[in-house]
Amino acid sequence: MKEQILQTLCDLRAYALTKGVEATFLLHEEDSYLMRFANSAISLNTNEHLIRLEITAYRDRQRASYELITALDKVDEMRQGVDMAAEMVQHAQPLSYRPTIPLYTTSFSDESAYDPALATLGNHERLAFFNQAVAGLETDEIQLSGIFSCGANTLAQINTRSEHTQYFKTSDAQITMVLSHTALKWEVSAEQSAQKKADLNPDVLRRDLAFLLEHYRRDATQQLPLGTYNIVFGPAATAELLGILGFIGYNGGLMKRGYSFLSEEQIGQRVFSPQFTLTDDPTRRETFPFRRDLTGMPRRPFPLFVAGVFQSFVWPQDEADEFAMQPTGHTVPHTSIVMQGGDVAANTLPELVALPREHDVLYIPYLHYMNIVNPSKGLVTGSSRFGALLLKKDGSVAVPYNVRLTQSLLDIFGDRLAWLSQAQVVANTSSSYDARNPQASLVPAFLQVNGLEISHSNSSY
Amino acid sequence: MMHQQLQEHIARLKNAGALYVDARWYPFEETNHLLMWNGNLKNVTATRESGVGVRVLYKGAWGFSAASDVSHLGALFDKALDNARIAAERVTFPVRLAEKDAIRASFTSPNRIDPFTVPLADKVAFLQAMDEKLNQPGVSQRICTLTFIRKQIVFMDAEGSEIDKTIVEVFPSLEVMGLDAQGEMHSRKFSPPRMGDTRGWETLDREVFNANAERIVREMNEVRTAENCPRDVRSVILLPGIMFLQTHETIGHALELDRILGYELAFAGGSFVRLSDFGTLRYGSDKLTVRADATIPNSPGSFGYDDDGIPAQNNLLIDHGLLVGAISGRQMVEEANARAGKVIFDGSSGANRATSFYRVPIERMTNINVDPGNDGTLDDIVSKTERGIILDGDKSWSIGSNREQFHFATDIGWLVEDGRVTHVVKNSTYQGETVKFYNSLSAVGDPSTWEVCYVANCGKGQPNQVMQLGHGVPVCRFDHVRIGE
Repeated sequence: MKEQILQTLCDLRAYALTKGVEATFLLHEEDSYLMRFANSAISLNTNEHLIRLEITAYRDRQRASYELITALDKVDEMRQGVDMAAEMVQHAQPLSYRPTIPLYTTSFSDESAYDPALATLGNHERLAFFNQAVAGLETDEIQLSGIFSCGANTLAQINTRSEHTQYFKTSDAQITMVLSHTALKWEVSAEQSAQKKADLNPDVLRRDLAFLLEHYRRDATQQLPLGTYNIVFGPAATAELLGILGFIGYNGGLMKRGYSFLSEEQIGQRVFSPQFTLTDDPTRRETFPFRRDLTGMPRRPFPLFVAGVFQSFVWPQDEADEFAMQPTGHTVPHTSIVMQGGDVAANTLPELVALPREHDVLYIPYLHYMNIVNPSKGLVTGSSRFGALLLKKDGSVAVPYNVRLTQSLLDIFGDRLAWLSQAQVVANTSSSYDARNPQASLVPAFLQVNGLEISHSNSSY
Repeated sequence: MMHQQLQEHIARLKNAGALYVDARWYPFEETNHLLMWNGNLKNVTATRESGVGVRVLYKGAWGFSAASDVSHLGALFDKALDNARIAAERVTFPVRLAEKDAIRASFTSPNRIDPFTVPLADKVAFLQAMDEKLNQPGVSQRICTLTFIRKQIVFMDAEGSEIDKTIVEVFPSLEVMGLDAQGEMHSRKFSPPRMGDTRGWETLDREVFNANAERIVREMNEVRTAENCPRDVRSVILLPGIMFLQTHETIGHALELDRILGYELAFAGGSFVRLSDFGTLRYGSDKLTVRADATIPNSPGSFGYDDDGIPAQNNLLIDHGLLVGAISGRQMVEEANARAGKVIFDGSSGANRATSFYRVPIERMTNINVDPGNDGTLDDIVSKTERGIILDGDKSWSIGSNREQFHFATDIGWLVEDGRVTHVVKNSTYQGETVKFYNSLSAVGDPSTWEVCYVANCGKGQPNQVMQLGHGVPVCRFDHVRIGE
């Protein structure tokens, strides 16, 4: 298949050259499988095999794209796509800057994050995994939901500036399991991310679900009074917050457009806690990394914050072109965010619960429906979900109803950051909108932030 | 030829033991998207796709498969059946489908000028004209977009239905942003309400856009120099530009029957609504009447027939405050009635839709509309408001996983004191609990305040799907609401 994909791209390049069209080609192939569970049944079992081709034509400062879902043997259809892009670019208004067409000086191929055993995992294996992970945990009242999503993802590129190609192939799996009480409406959840088959471990999911389930069945429920709390975030919540930081924090183009709470003057200054170190690290295979970006730039570990000190904005090629900046190797479908851990030996949920504490601590594993209230202040809002716990100072545990946080990232990752776990865990942040694009962050298993305000507290589940 | 092949494979799978089979063939789906940012035409994108999605019900479980390459249709159908066979190994409530008639029909969304026949140069010229209008003092960011969709969907099922739909949509938007003296960014947007009875290129009325371009620049500049929204408890008067999203998030999603039955618990969330609430829950005050109306011609929530092959309907969801209906498809109404042990829903409400050939249909909103009331115009409502705030523009929205509570930020607020608008405020927000909020509904504007707004990017489901739909809403006033937090 690889040879066929690359040959197709070479043929399209030749066709564009004969037509006098300057163009870039990006081919995306996905082989996606998703088994979805609801009410303890498989509610959907689906697969899609799709090939997308994006053709971007250039004429000096003009640029236009034509995208199609196609098949590799539909040569005429793809050539028509070239003609369409070439026609469109004639009518595109010139940009105020000259968009860069990358020059690949060598061909590049990276299949190091591809495991055929994971990509071709069968239906029965997925079902067996789920059955093992919830063995003995379901009842008439406590029912299973979730997904087992897996597949293979390929990106291949060429352009008219050289005959060299780029080729990236990964395999991935994302597992989300939810156990919910049908009458009381509470939910507990556990997640797993895999880049290779050996990453899959249903027993770890079962351990986490069983632990939460025990507390949700046994411990008293509580509506939390509004006020400030010391809050421990789980990996999914942390990854969600870091995702927003990537949007309204260190994104250079958005900063230039005034949609960031960081400024160029803050480079080299401490903006977050000394415990906060964040890197875009494409050497970590768990993040489904790109070791070269789509312009051919080699990607190496790129420090974003070191001990709270802001290091750099990121500049994808088009934003760099527009704002006359140097690109930073961030023309990629996703980055490889890695947050450094700390020194607290609380790396699993039982260890967190067992930690001695002087004050009550609210554990929030997951933040639902986060949104940006005020980008200039880094102000975000979202609600707890999927297994929050109130860890009381006397060592007991209560089950809180869900709460809302409306808080600035400057507070969350700033001096209120109390501690971080030693261990890093993978938080899969993939979404299946549009083309398959597996992504994950490596984050501390837990981090505690003191003095965060709860702005709403539910009176029931 | 294609029709015949699809029919043959549907019949073949039925003979192989499938309880039900349908196929959605998209001969084409095209989009055209243009984005101009500060005068730079950053995106000019056209897309085209085609393919077939096959849904198979086998021993009470669904299997689905889709491909753009239709040269191996037999294998595609077999794969869908195989997927269903595996799913049938874990069934707790066998899927049954509500009754429907076999329908042979067609639907074309009304448009006088197909936007795909309009030269690209004309589209660029429209954006340039709007960009020039927005290029005024105080404005640091100008964003103008045009998105066009055209698709043909051929639906065939094992029950004898064959429906051919052609749908054309136009989604324009304008947005300006500007920094205030403290360096905070503020924005103001315009997406035109649907007027007339069509939804083609002809809906892009230059005069309407010119007037609103001037308005949003003026209002954004007022916000830039305004004081912060106070932290307070007040009456909030929601203009259609935010009332549509309030309706979408806390009525529409809450009343999707798949959410109520737990089918979205792993991702989008559930609903605070229980089956026992239908016919008993006071969702809102007497002034609240809400319907799912897929029959209004000019909105993307009208599509003729859903992807179960059910004709478009106009159904009450909330009748003078009382919860009476849900957004449903054939599977969910059967399951809900069986679980409740009584007939709550008399058939599908025709709301099962997929966003593309390679996604499976799920419960989606049609046009979830709030009926206009008899409390007069906006001025009438303001004149009868002691301490309030008028809010407009969707800046941010965040809703609890069961849609039980929410937090919204808006582009602009106007404080109201003793029946009069006093001044503009910035960073306006409001929050509340859904049922308590709608029961505080104290005024509903007359038909002159009613506008059909649209949502072009409603996300739901796994694999995720982005859907287009509409909301016809009037000006509404709610009392005792927390603002400014």
